[in-house]
Amino acid sequence: MASDDEINILVIVLDVNPIWWGQQAQREPQFTLSTCLDSLMVMANAHLVMSRTNKLAVIANLYQKSHFLYPKEIRNLMDRTEVNGSQTDSLLAVSLAKALCYIHRVSKDVQAGQDMKSRILVIKAAEDSTLQYMNFMNVTFAAQKKNILIDACVLDTDSGLLQQACDITGGLYLRIPQKIALTQYLLWVFLPDTDQRSQLLLPPPVHVDYRAACFCHRNLIEIGYVCSVCLSIFCNFSPICTTCETAFKMPLPQMAKTKKKKVKTAN
Amino acid sequence: MDEEPERAKRWEGGYERTWEVLKEDESGSLKATVEDILFQAKRKRVFEGHGQVRLGMMRHLFVIIDSSRSMEDQDLKPNRLTSTLKLMEFFVEEYFDQNPISQIGIITTKNKRAEKLTDLAGNPKKHLAALKKVVDSTCVGEPSLYNSLNCVALPSGTEIKEILVIFSSLTTCDPANIYELIKTLNALKIRVSVIGLSAEVRVCTILTRETGGSYNVILDESHFKELLMLHVKPPPASSSSECSLIRMGFPQHVIASMSDQDAKPSFSMSHLDSTGEPGLTLGGYYCPQCRAKYTELPVECKVCGLTLVSAPHLARSFHHLFPLEAFQETPLEEYEGERFCEACQGELKDKSVFTCLACKKVFCVECDLFIHDTLHCCPGCMQTDRTS
Repeated sequence: MASDDEINILVIVLDVNPIWWGQQAQREPQFTLSTCLDSLMVMANAHLVMSRTNKLAVIANLYQKSHFLYPKEIRNLMDRTEVNGSQTDSLLAVSLAKALCYIHRVSKDVQAGQDMKSRILVIKAAEDSTLQYMNFMNVTFAAQKKNILIDACVLDTDSGLLQQACDITGGLYLRIPQKIALTQYLLWVFLPDTDQRSQLLLPPPVHVDYRAACFCHRNLIEIGYVCSVCLSIFCNFSPICTTCETAFKMPLPQMAKTKKKKVKTAN
Repeated sequence: MDEEPERAKRWEGGYERTWEVLKEDESGSLKATVEDILFQAKRKRVFEGHGQVRLGMMRHLFVIIDSSRSMEDQDLKPNRLTSTLKLMEFFVEEYFDQNPISQIGIITTKNKRAEKLTDLAGNPKKHLAALKKVVDSTCVGEPSLYNSLNCVALPSGTEIKEILVIFSSLTTCDPANIYELIKTLNALKIRVSVIGLSAEVRVCTILTRETGGSYNVILDESHFKELLMLHVKPPPASSSSECSLIRMGFPQHVIASMSDQDAKPSFSMSHLDSTGEPGLTLGGYYCPQCRAKYTELPVECKVCGLTLVSAPHLARSFHHLFPLEAFQETPLEEYEGERFCEACQGELKDKSVFTCLACKKVFCVECDLFIHDTLHCCPGCMQTDRTS
């Protein structure tokens, strides 16, 4: 049991994309948003019970907007927002940024002599959006700098961004095979904090693809050329960098030397 | 004797009236002024200009830390060595943040000898671990500037070669003529800078002047930190010349478990020169060009010479290229609207509120600092635009 000197703060980010959840209700009527919320409540209460000093916050992520569900009053955000039929993906970077700011504020209020450990649990439903890469990476590095773990519990499709975030910050990434058993997975894998995780047998880490994508074609490359000014990555050598527009010095061709030699011997 | 530039010494300048900065209010208390000064200090960091950013500089920097008897002096709390090491840890982190593909090596000197603490490497973890171990070592004897400069082994093909010496003693014990060594350093185009902890030493002045570096002596701990941070940015003279496309490899991380039939444990190339235990590991990073194995990135492949990095390593510095604009400060009284901060949901009770000019959301002073220092992206803007 944790002593009074340690504060554990858990921030849960829940993806509430209405289109995905609506389709999900049609696919599997046993597992809907309300059952998911029930599982989350079980886990949240379990976390608060583990120690007197544990803290909790819940953020709901709707497309690009995010709302704090707890510790502020619950808002009926489903009723207030208009449903836009085309957006089937969700941008989690906003909620993660707000979670980080919230943790930062709480850490300022901590008294001297108290340790604070924090982690963010992301429950992801809909697919990734590729538009948020920069923001997402910024958030990930900020979390790593502050020693905040990002765990991910993925309900449907794998997400490369979340895999990278979990790997960089040291959290756990898990794709759930059976959604009905969400409560079990949450309580087994994501409830224990970092100290206790080393003593448990948890799912093995996934292989993360860290190859870079070139800026010109978005292909994944193993060997590329990097501009020394702006660090943009290209797959082929080009005389001008498209991002920062610096002209590069070309490597001198070696042919001139051999040609001279030939001319000399001919003479 | 060569000519020295004319410089006014501090005792030759006029009086400074430092008491005029502090002003009392009606009740005679200084609290308001002190709070104001602290607030300004917090804001000053955000306003440091975004100059011309050159991230791709591959700098090779060696840091020589003096561990002689003078480092036990307690004018920097708790003693000079501990204070220096703590600032060095901060320096290493900032250095790799601003120069992601550069490398650092650390050398210590004491007892008239020099010892290499860490080799030239691009991963900050090793350096930080080594720095933490030095705290327990004893400071004895005299430093040797000649031996420590000789210990520096910089690869010859690199473009930017620098040495930073943190020198606290007033003497140095050299086995040979140091002026010859200075000529050699000049020929190799190595730039040496010195940060002095005690007083100005003539041999350091000549060393830095001949090689084109800078020489400063610290006044107190915060000045020490400022001087160190000046070395985080790439040196100005070479910044105009080097723009090139660097060929780099992005190796895949192979994770093999014990139950995998084909997995064979193998040595990593980075352990060939190390004196520790040989590390047989199952997984690692394989160079895409020559298939040599390494355990950590970034590294320069010893077999084929290709620089190996991972994509998040470069992505870590992209925030320098797209810097976040400073927020507009308005006093709390003039602000109408809901009194809560968009990012942390806390109540706004500081002296001023900060508005992002792009998305018009308001933030408190703590979130403003956090957003500009660590996060580098505005949570309000992320909600409105669809581009990364």
